[in-house]
Amino acid sequence: MADETPVKAVQVKLVLLGEAAVGKSSLVLRFCQGDFNENTSPTIGAAFLTQKCRLENRIVKFEIWDTAGQERFHSLAPMYYRNAQAAVVVYDITKAASLEKAKAWVKELQRQANANIVIALVGNKLDLASDSSSTSISAPTATETPETPTEDEGTAEDGDSVEESTPTPPVNNESDDARQVSTAEAEAYAKESGLLFFEASAKTGHNVGEIFTEIAKTIPFDTITPKPAANQTGNRRSAGNTENNNVNLGDGQQAKRSGCC
Amino acid sequence: MSLPLHLRSYREKSKDELTRDFYNVPTQSSLPGPSDPPSVVKLRERPYKNGQEELQSMDINAVISVEGKEEVYAGRLSLLPPYLCFISLDRKSCRCTIPLYTIRRVERLNSRAGVFALSLATWHGMRIILQLTSLLPTAEHFAILLRDALKSQLSAMKQLKPFLPSLYSEFLLSSPVSTATGQQQTNDLLLDAESNDKAASSSTAAASHEGEGDLRGPGGEGKGIYQRGLGEQFGFPGDARKMRERSKMKLWREYFMIHGRNLTLLRYPPFQRLLQVGLPSRLRGELWEVMSGSVYLRFANPETYGLLLSQNAGKSSQSTDEIEKDLNRSLPEYKAYQSEEGLARLRRVLVAYSFRNPELGYCQALNIVVAGLLIYMSEEQAFWLLEVLCDRILPGYYSPSMEGTLLDQRVFESLVHRCLPMIQEHFVSVDVQISVASLPWFLSLYINSMPLIFAFRIVDCVLAMGVKVLFQIGLAVLKINGEALLEVTDDGMFINLMRSYFATIGDSAHPDHPDPRVRAITNFQELLVVAFREFNVITDDTITAERKRLRAIISDEIEKFSKRAAVRNLKNIGKFSKENIGIIYDHYFSAICSPEAGPSTYTSNFSPGDQFDQPRIQVDAQGRVETRIDHRTFRVFLSQIATWAREETVTTNAFMQRTDRKVADHELIDRLFFAWDSQNQGTLSLQDVVLGLNRVMTAGLMESIEWFFELHDKDKDGFLTKDEVIQLSESLLFIFRNEPGDIYLAAVSKFILNAYEFGDATAPEGSVDEKAPIDGDKETASGARERSNSSAGPHNLPYLNLATFRMVVLADELLENFFANDLTASFQLVQTEDEDYHQAHQKSEGLLGGLMNLVVTNENKNRLNRLADGFGSALGRHAEWRKPALSKASDPSITPSSSSDLRARESLLTPAQQAGQFQRQRSASAVSNTSTKTTDTTGTVTPEEKRSLADVELRYREESQMVKAAQEAVMHRPNFAIDAIGDSDDEDGDEPEEGDDAGVMDEVEAFLKAHGADDEGLKGEQKKVAEDLLKAEPMGAKKKEKETADLVDL
Repeated sequence: MADETPVKAVQVKLVLLGEAAVGKSSLVLRFCQGDFNENTSPTIGAAFLTQKCRLENRIVKFEIWDTAGQERFHSLAPMYYRNAQAAVVVYDITKAASLEKAKAWVKELQRQANANIVIALVGNKLDLASDSSSTSISAPTATETPETPTEDEGTAEDGDSVEESTPTPPVNNESDDARQVSTAEAEAYAKESGLLFFEASAKTGHNVGEIFTEIAKTIPFDTITPKPAANQTGNRRSAGNTENNNVNLGDGQQAKRSGCC
Repeated sequence: MSLPLHLRSYREKSKDELTRDFYNVPTQSSLPGPSDPPSVVKLRERPYKNGQEELQSMDINAVISVEGKEEVYAGRLSLLPPYLCFISLDRKSCRCTIPLYTIRRVERLNSRAGVFALSLATWHGMRIILQLTSLLPTAEHFAILLRDALKSQLSAMKQLKPFLPSLYSEFLLSSPVSTATGQQQTNDLLLDAESNDKAASSSTAAASHEGEGDLRGPGGEGKGIYQRGLGEQFGFPGDARKMRERSKMKLWREYFMIHGRNLTLLRYPPFQRLLQVGLPSRLRGELWEVMSGSVYLRFANPETYGLLLSQNAGKSSQSTDEIEKDLNRSLPEYKAYQSEEGLARLRRVLVAYSFRNPELGYCQALNIVVAGLLIYMSEEQAFWLLEVLCDRILPGYYSPSMEGTLLDQRVFESLVHRCLPMIQEHFVSVDVQISVASLPWFLSLYINSMPLIFAFRIVDCVLAMGVKVLFQIGLAVLKINGEALLEVTDDGMFINLMRSYFATIGDSAHPDHPDPRVRAITNFQELLVVAFREFNVITDDTITAERKRLRAIISDEIEKFSKRAAVRNLKNIGKFSKENIGIIYDHYFSAICSPEAGPSTYTSNFSPGDQFDQPRIQVDAQGRVETRIDHRTFRVFLSQIATWAREETVTTNAFMQRTDRKVADHELIDRLFFAWDSQNQGTLSLQDVVLGLNRVMTAGLMESIEWFFELHDKDKDGFLTKDEVIQLSESLLFIFRNEPGDIYLAAVSKFILNAYEFGDATAPEGSVDEKAPIDGDKETASGARERSNSSAGPHNLPYLNLATFRMVVLADELLENFFANDLTASFQLVQTEDEDYHQAHQKSEGLLGGLMNLVVTNENKNRLNRLADGFGSALGRHAEWRKPALSKASDPSITPSSSSDLRARESLLTPAQQAGQFQRQRSASAVSNTSTKTTDTTGTVTPEEKRSLADVELRYREESQMVKAAQEAVMHRPNFAIDAIGDSDDEDGDEPEEGDDAGVMDEVEAFLKAHGADDEGLKGEQKKVAEDLLKAEPMGAKKKEKETADLVDL
């Protein structure tokens, strides 16, 4: 295993996916340069960036493919996500449709990408929500299916200090809150699909580093050799779930300790 | 989910179109016909089409020479009304495209016998001498066509005058400053430009009005109303001094004096060199539009751009939203794009184009390209160049499925494989795709990949020489970095390597070389030299051939990709397996593409302002595009799945047996359509179709009865009216229409009878006992009693409820069986042949292949069929019958029980009826099966009859197999070596170098001097003839002076 040589950086190929203008490029820019720029350079096909991330026992060097979000570039995406060990699927919390697109990406990744790929679902533009910790449930929230596993609920809430799934009825304060996707809804989906889940803001930098740190921690470095995707879809599903639990358990504290960038 | 429908309607360009493309002349197809107006603005047809019948094109051998120039070139002269085009024999020395509306005078020259020569005088007085070297009658015919074409250009000639001031070269030449004071002039221009910019920048209309002034007069203050880019206001990229702008401008001025300018520009060898050292910033925009031919579009459609903007003002679409998002990310480092002025221009051009071509709309990367263009061009110029780029130079690059991009990436990979096999092998071994780096190169014409000043020099070459330049440069980049590339082990290294190479492209390629001249060579110059020298084997033909070879593969991949995505995105797949969903998708897709589904509505039937106005493409609740089918398409779709929704005629004659399929048309099908249209949209999505099929295909007896009932219960009140009962019976009869025998007819008659009997008993008037269990026999009696009075009542009242309907159905064994098995089984998911559609339909090439394509057309097949039918009937062996819908379903292998159930009913038929039935029913195995099962009760088919039938059938089978074998022999053809693509590979390998490298390295001036004389012109006799011609007088009597000449005297 690579743990014996902590100095040597482990390379991780990471791909960013998501609808156009959800802020993929901004997230990467924030992560790589600690910068937020309203006018990011254009993404044609995909932009390529690298950034190192220091964990307790190893250095992870992210090679980040920031893909173009426009629908017509979709058919080019496989070129970038093949052999990727991690994926960040971004949606915009102020646009309900972007979560639908994100779900489609997750589905595609789970079927077409590496079997061991670690997927993080990230709701960006948290700064636009009036109260980033409250959960206003938007109207079309029908996806909260009853079969959502409830046994993990407690641990998940413990871990995620930011999000409190308050079971309050929908709050209609649309005047200052642009949020359309509730935390609970997205989180439930993430859990169901075995994804890491974050809400972040590229503008303020909130939670951005944490995304990458958690990914770095979650990647199973002992099985880093890419495997054919068709191989073990069923296994991976369950594996993903356990990973997710681990992450949720350890989340809040360790993320800060192993500061990134 | 929008589906890539257009891939199936792709066709290769015709020879005529290719010729027009080569000369950058607009083709008919590039301008929409009258049937499908683009947005609101109706583009003017090619000028010569105005109300007249199309003028003829013609090619002829000719020798060209121009006054003031020694070189004479033999080549091919093409009249492509309204353009006259020439290309020298070596296809590179001399080339021109002259719009006929720029020609003021054409004269036949009086010269030695046997030489047919024409003198063309352009509006600015340049004289071009053309010797037509073909036989005299041919030459005369050409002259006549030319005259007709010229005549048709009268109106266009008048437009020339107001158009010319929009061109910078006219302004440049009109200034009295001699070449000696070039610097002074440039400075003047700079001041001039800045002072004038505000006036000229936004309004092109103003330009055409002011054009009344004297064109050739001095370009004094206020006259510089030419179209210009942002660069004149915000500064051009690069250091003008380092780029030798002044010298270049001087050289171009000189070149224009002799070789014509803008619309009349002739490409002589110095052109190529001036091009490759980089165009001067001020002239760049104009030369771009001249070289690409977009200037002809701008000339012919002077109002289009303004109208597109004004008529679509304030409208928004998905494209405009996407454009808005990208505006700030388009060359943000260039000053103009940090200003509102620059962004507004960029926005207007992109938006105008998205309305001009709603199918394409807007594609990321276009923002970069247009931002680049606008530095050197006005909005209108950039708009038309964008049109030419998307339409001709980079076809399909920016379309919704980006098939052109994917295709050219594949072509590029294949060229790397061919030219740089080591790199290719290494990349395969480390599993890195070249496209990850090369895709943006192609998509943004390198503008996004390297410093602007160098990128624009590549754009210069692309617009002058075509898309092959992109490939040549790409190959050269890989080759130059070859050693380092062999060290690459992953995507990241590859990208970083390319990035650092492009970052240092302006540095010296040989920094340590003792010779300062060599040290002065930059990486970029080296790149050009490698690209144009070592990869000159990559020709237009290479690209065309490779595209042709790979297109089918790419198309299939795109279709499979969108299939996967569409299937994956279904929210509910019912009880279907993934495979079955795939089959449903294939049918769905092929129905949309089927010609029977009506005119190809998906190509271009837009109305302004909304790119989703196409009938079958809708935006769903989340604002995503979705492909849906209308009821006509649904009929085609259903005919592929439900056996009763198609008419299958089996024809047997002495030669073959074939099955012709037609789409059936019945109300029942429309009923299904509306029943499945869950959201009442008038169209069905794939999801609707899947759910609809899921219901009918998984239904058991009771469920089948229920959905069939609901289908006919229009108001959904749970009751059928009497009319609806009749309609339901009709639906049943429609399904049974081709079934053998009368049993089904009998069953339906009995059904109607029973339905009325039970219905009378249970109609809502007496709804008290409606749900009570009813004893069939008793009710029949009571029903019969009441029928007389109630059947006379109104026909639109609720009458028959589901329970009663169920009972009536179950009362009949045949109907029960039908609903229990046959109906469900009549929906069959059979794999279509659509897998790898494009590869299967790829036309074979080469001489024999072409011949085959000619012979094996659908029409010819039909003709052959008719012929065979004719012979067959002459021989008395022609027979046709309709394939029954259910006997297939009741094939023993599928539902073993059903056919045996028919026995009892069939025994009711008279022997004669049964015999007749068998006559008609010779084909399906199901029938023979039935016949054996029914012999015990009927026994009417005599053994003799049977044997003869069997005989006939056997013979038919043999014959049809022979025909089939013959057909296969014809269809199958081996791979001939002669067909292999890429023969052209070695052809040009030994072309003498013209010293491009030296040219690039040298100072511009030295460069020209050194290469002044070694052009591949004609020598000796022909040259002398040409020289004589220059001095020759027009022929007195046969003077072909145009009546139009004076009208356009400028």
